[in-house]
Amino acid sequence: MPTRSARAVLDALEHLAGGLGTALLALVALVWLLASAALCLVGVGFLLLPEALRIVHAVAERERARLSRRGREIIGPVPLRRELGWLVCHATVGFVLGAAALTLPVDVLHDASLPLWWQFVPAAAAQPAQGFFMVTSWGSAFLACLTGLAALVLMFVLLPPMARWQSWPGIRLLSADHEPDLALRVAQLTATRAAALDAHAAELRRIERSLHDGTQNRLVAVTVLIGAAQRALTRDPLASKEILDRAQDAAEQALAELRGVVRSILPPVLADRSLPDALTALAAACPVPCRLDAELPDRCAASVEATAYFVVAEALTNVARHSQASAASVFLRRKDDRLFVEITDDGAGGAGEQGGSGLSGIRRRVEAHDGDFTLTSPVGGPTVVTVSLPCGL
Amino acid sequence: MRIVIAEDDSLLREGLALLLKAEGLDVVATAANAADFLAAVDEHVPDVAIVDVRMPPTHTDEGIVAAVEARRRQPGLAVLVLSAYVEQAFATDLFTTGGARLGYLLKERVGRVEEFLDALRRVAGGGTAIDPEVVAQLMVRPDTRLARLSARERDVLALMAEGLGNSAIAARLVVTDGAVHKHIRSIFAKLDLAPTDSADRRVTAVLRYLRATTGAR
Repeated sequence: MPTRSARAVLDALEHLAGGLGTALLALVALVWLLASAALCLVGVGFLLLPEALRIVHAVAERERARLSRRGREIIGPVPLRRELGWLVCHATVGFVLGAAALTLPVDVLHDASLPLWWQFVPAAAAQPAQGFFMVTSWGSAFLACLTGLAALVLMFVLLPPMARWQSWPGIRLLSADHEPDLALRVAQLTATRAAALDAHAAELRRIERSLHDGTQNRLVAVTVLIGAAQRALTRDPLASKEILDRAQDAAEQALAELRGVVRSILPPVLADRSLPDALTALAAACPVPCRLDAELPDRCAASVEATAYFVVAEALTNVARHSQASAASVFLRRKDDRLFVEITDDGAGGAGEQGGSGLSGIRRRVEAHDGDFTLTSPVGGPTVVTVSLPCGL
Repeated sequence: MRIVIAEDDSLLREGLALLLKAEGLDVVATAANAADFLAAVDEHVPDVAIVDVRMPPTHTDEGIVAAVEARRRQPGLAVLVLSAYVEQAFATDLFTTGGARLGYLLKERVGRVEEFLDALRRVAGGGTAIDPEVVAQLMVRPDTRLARLSARERDVLALMAEGLGNSAIAARLVVTDGAVHKHIRSIFAKLDLAPTDSADRRVTAVLRYLRATTGAR
């Protein structure tokens, strides 16, 4: 029994410490949001506000992930006002609860052990026990020891409910389950459906572009060169051979580019073998050394696997092109009815969805599948791209 | 004949230059984008410009825009536009700047060197050269005025649009020159074209034909 309650207290303490972390983030996001809102008065804020809201959303997403790890899964999205409500609660009450919970064990250790060391502390540097009386004699030292033990009891009594209070706003406000707002869900599905069609159109445009600018131009070059060779045949047979060589090169290039396009539409290995096999090929082809940890005992819907493949391909292309990383890793697992993919690199970080890095393409494709996409890439690295997709089967 | 080539694909650009040089034509400059092309036209004042439709940065219609601009700067500049596919809107944009000294051909026609050089000379000499594919697409949906033409007359007009002369049309349709001449007179009459300079009228007929089939522009 005592070990079990001790474990419960440690558990609660860990929970509260994690909560303090997100509360700190929430506090930063809240201050940033308020500053942006204030700057709206002078106009600049209108530029900052969308980014501030995105940060709020990212912090909320992190809290969802944290709470989901500890209990029932918290699934968004929720209306903005609920996320903002949670932000205010968590940045204030959640922060105070977390901070208080972390100081309690320190107090317990400090006070309970006072009789052992109070006399070695110079009077000038003495700290008040429990913040309200100075330890200057054996009597007060033992009194402090008693208050320390009382604080220990308090820990057992208070920490578990404190942990519950701290996570309550998140569970209550960040989970879509509590509000059967079907209109919102319909709006969201409409948006993801539009995104799906957009992603589809963008994909077709990409294929058209690569066929047109690559393969077709190569083939035109072949006909031009063959035409030139034909004309040169009687005039200068030697020159015509040289031109024919160039025509053959161009034809081979056309074939190589055609192969590339076909592969980028749907790699044969993905259809014939499995997603981990396809990812193995991707990881092996990546110029940056890439460790792959992919386990997928059952197949997912073909479109989901293709999206996961696309995400990894695009992310690894980014790693190779922009990150200056020395190592990358890809992680793939299925948990219940969701497929999780995580691509990490130890590069320079600072990756964003602007500037045609392909990350916005990943977001579009993932959101089209009603999945989640998160990017953390502080300047200095590491960059982590996390994607979860409903498996569809 | 002094020629400037604008084509963003390097292999194709060099292939084209190689081909034309081998034929004894004077390729004075090549450009990989619209800005370089316009600069080259200003600098070299060529007789003919050969322009690819899709070029950087957006790979949409830079070539058409550049060709129209080049002709604005240098009225009478012969322009032969090469395109990987037929786009009526591009053809119309191009031909509303006046039809003489203009050509619009599919890229692969270059491989048929004899015919390509023919088209090039025709455009440089003041005529037109419209790809049979363009003409065929336009034929799908003839407007009311064009509907007055007989099937044979439409064939003749289509070949005129390609830029062929009377005897070439006669050879293609396996009829006599006189018969072609009669058809053309009939076409001009049905399209309400007054008998002025015959070369101009040919161009106008083709233009009317193009505009009619691509909507009122």
